[in-house]
Amino acid sequence: MRRTMLYLPGNNPNMLLRGHLFGSDGLIFDLEDAVSRSEKDSSRILVREVLRHSGFDGREVTVRINGLDTEYWRDDLAAVVPCRIHGIRVPKVDTPQTIRDLDDALSALESRASVPIGATKVFCLLETALGVWNAYDIATASPRVTAIIPGGEDLAADLRTSRSKEGTELEWIRRMMIVAARAAGVDALDTVFPSVTDEEGLRREALFTKQLGFDGKSVIHPAQIPIIHEIYDPTEAEVEKARKIVAAAREAAARGLGAVSVDGRMVDLPVVRRAEFTLERAGAMTEGGAR
Amino acid sequence: MSSGETLPAAQAGTVESMDCLVTIAASSGGRRIEISGSGAARFRSAMENKIIQVLDSLGGPGDLSVTVQDNGALDIVLGARVEAAYLRFREAMLR
Amino acid sequence: MALNAVKRDIPSRIEGYGNTGEKLFEGAFARKPEGFRASAMMRSRGPNDPTKFLGSVKEAIAASGLKSGMTISFHHHLRNGDFIVNQVLDECAKAGIRDLTLFPTALFGVHKAIIPHIKSGVVRRIMGSVNGPIGQLVSEGGMEVPVVLRSHGGRPRAVIAGDVHIDVAFIAAPTADVGGNMSGRAGKSACGSLGYAFTDAEYANCVIALTDNLQHYPIAPISIPGTFVDFVVQVGVIGDPDGIVSGTTRVTRDPLRLLIARHASKLIEASPYFKDGLSFQTGAGGIPLAVTAFMKEAMKRRRVRGGFGLGGITGYFVDLLKEGLLKKLMDVQSFDHEAVESISSDPRHIEISADWYANPWNCGAAVNELDVVILGATEVDMNFNANVNTEADGALLHGIGGHQDTAAGAKLTIIAQPLLRGRIPCVVDSVHTVTTPGEAIDALVTEFGVTINPRRRDLIDACGEAKGKNAVPLVPLDELAERAKRMSGPMSPLRQGDRIVGIVEWRDGTVIDVVRQIFPENISS
Repeated sequence: MRRTMLYLPGNNPNMLLRGHLFGSDGLIFDLEDAVSRSEKDSSRILVREVLRHSGFDGREVTVRINGLDTEYWRDDLAAVVPCRIHGIRVPKVDTPQTIRDLDDALSALESRASVPIGATKVFCLLETALGVWNAYDIATASPRVTAIIPGGEDLAADLRTSRSKEGTELEWIRRMMIVAARAAGVDALDTVFPSVTDEEGLRREALFTKQLGFDGKSVIHPAQIPIIHEIYDPTEAEVEKARKIVAAAREAAARGLGAVSVDGRMVDLPVVRRAEFTLERAGAMTEGGAR
Repeated sequence: MSSGETLPAAQAGTVESMDCLVTIAASSGGRRIEISGSGAARFRSAMENKIIQVLDSLGGPGDLSVTVQDNGALDIVLGARVEAAYLRFREAMLR
Repeated sequence: MALNAVKRDIPSRIEGYGNTGEKLFEGAFARKPEGFRASAMMRSRGPNDPTKFLGSVKEAIAASGLKSGMTISFHHHLRNGDFIVNQVLDECAKAGIRDLTLFPTALFGVHKAIIPHIKSGVVRRIMGSVNGPIGQLVSEGGMEVPVVLRSHGGRPRAVIAGDVHIDVAFIAAPTADVGGNMSGRAGKSACGSLGYAFTDAEYANCVIALTDNLQHYPIAPISIPGTFVDFVVQVGVIGDPDGIVSGTTRVTRDPLRLLIARHASKLIEASPYFKDGLSFQTGAGGIPLAVTAFMKEAMKRRRVRGGFGLGGITGYFVDLLKEGLLKKLMDVQSFDHEAVESISSDPRHIEISADWYANPWNCGAAVNELDVVILGATEVDMNFNANVNTEADGALLHGIGGHQDTAAGAKLTIIAQPLLRGRIPCVVDSVHTVTTPGEAIDALVTEFGVTINPRRRDLIDACGEAKGKNAVPLVPLDELAERAKRMSGPMSPLRQGDRIVGIVEWRDGTVIDVVRQIFPENISS
């Protein structure tokens, strides 16, 4: 589950050590935008030490490295890959070649650190028009790619516009992101909602992207986590209905029946799949005994 | 004070909560460690051990003065700040 | 030496305090009052007597008959804006008065100005909280006589029981008339409630009102009547308004504190007390204020109407009153402008004395009616004993406040605190100083979840029944202690001496712990 992935500034020990307490599904230790040029070296060391010695309560742990167009990214990777993290979030991916270069560097480091080759997944930030245009090719450039994420500010600038409250400028890009992600078989994760105090705006945006089909959203403040979870989690009524559908489907299968009816309505295979997905989301699959 | 004023010195860290500011300078009188701030009263020896362990692992020389202004850094953080400060110090020495 | 009920070694005689044999802490409710209340000297003022009104603090000190070796009292509603304590002690020093016992309801950072008077012997003993530079001075052995710490309820108990006799009470009054009637509601130094000063007015041999807002006789409403008051002095200003009340108190945005507050409010919601009539106290700290905000949300969502809010009152409580989520406020201390405004205008916002608030030896302390209280602590140990007085380096830097009283009175006492403050663990094997015994504490809430005192099986069960979004994340105490140790690493032992510099009384006047001298830290090694 990647409903929420929380950015933690790489030079802030307090947040690096405590970030896992706030209940997000994943963590992003940020060595890029949250860290000034003069602190790239010290943050890299700090993040490495925290990754090595601290626990994160089973959250998905990733590191946002500096872009492949900078002098920092190889040192970033060398510091964190041996810590056996779940993934690397890489900024400004424009072409599949970026991913192939990254793939090679990761494999070399993994083999040196006795990490299984391919264990380090890649989350791609598509922050330019070119990157968005190449979304499918990027997402399929390596089996390491596990998610694609549209950019926010940078992308808006590259589109020669600015970010608006309504997100007009990102609307088509978000729709496109879903299509590319599903076609490539990776997750589509949404960009951050920058205004920490605007709860209503966050709610609106999360409802919209959930309906588009996104798997989750990046967050910059812990206060945003419960709001997004509330939106992404199925409601009790949805879970109840899904339970009925899955139970009926199972019973029908056991009796060798094809068609299933729940509450007087015919239920076909896509609906059963959807119901199973809902139960999975709610963590109710085991209770329902569906798998 | 030693004659450290004219020799290179380097810093890493901050005085924010759960962090520390580490200053490393050349020293003529062997390794000197000075610790002040919130951890000083109850964690001095743990902090000294950590500092020595990190410097040794980096091949740090004996003649260093290490000053820590602590605001509640755990060993993980202290070690990272000492390492960063020492690497910066070494860089400054090479210049 | 003898062990008290929380296993602290208490010397049978403490220099500057007395014998402790009859006064060892035996349990939160073990000691009952005997005999009769103490009294004050009878005084009168007839129609032909001279006016109470005097021109200066100096004249008032002379008129009061204050002499070396006597006990003088102050109240702390002007908090860090108070000018009165410093001014009175300056005048005492000028008058050659020495060896005074200072008996404030609390001291603040601004009172560091009295340090020269401590060093020169004008003040010989402090009975009351010490913090900042005064606390450091005391901790390092800077006073010959140990400080005696009492809770907000323990202090009036000590006065009424005759443990402490006040010779002269100096009462800062934001509004007063020439007859000595006082109120905190109006004036440029308005502070709202004068609750802590009531008992002093009643039991002192001489009462001096100091005001910067003298009005015609009589003012209305009146908090402390002139019948107790011997003299009225007009001074330029009694305090700095910025230090007296804060602006609008804002809930913290610190995610860690919000997380702790969220856990605490879930515990309250899961408890059997979360129902109509719910009464609670949260004070003005960052985490408790955030709990108040979350409780408001929960009360609205579950349509629960509370009963009363108690203790130090903030704008947050005033909002709850205005929105009908609380029916009454019982105010011993008004923290911000909203609280001062409310107590001045809303009859449902009641001014109560410290005696009424918290004294264990009367027939109606408000704390006994309390459902829930949220408190802090510097340390909690494996017996749930809490320390609020001393810091990790052993320095005596905090008063007891209402901690003991509300913990003893409330049905659900919650300590809400980060597990680590910097590197310093809040959960330890044994607290350095026992302020409040574990028998009065029901739950500890940290960023890792809710830890319930095992003797509250009922609460553990209630939390177990809360499911889904309302689930309460429970963490056993030993797991928490283990985590704290793992994160902070081994602590070096404290360097402390044998000399006792502070005595912590339980609210019933027994000795629950003592604080020993520490040695100033030596920086280099």
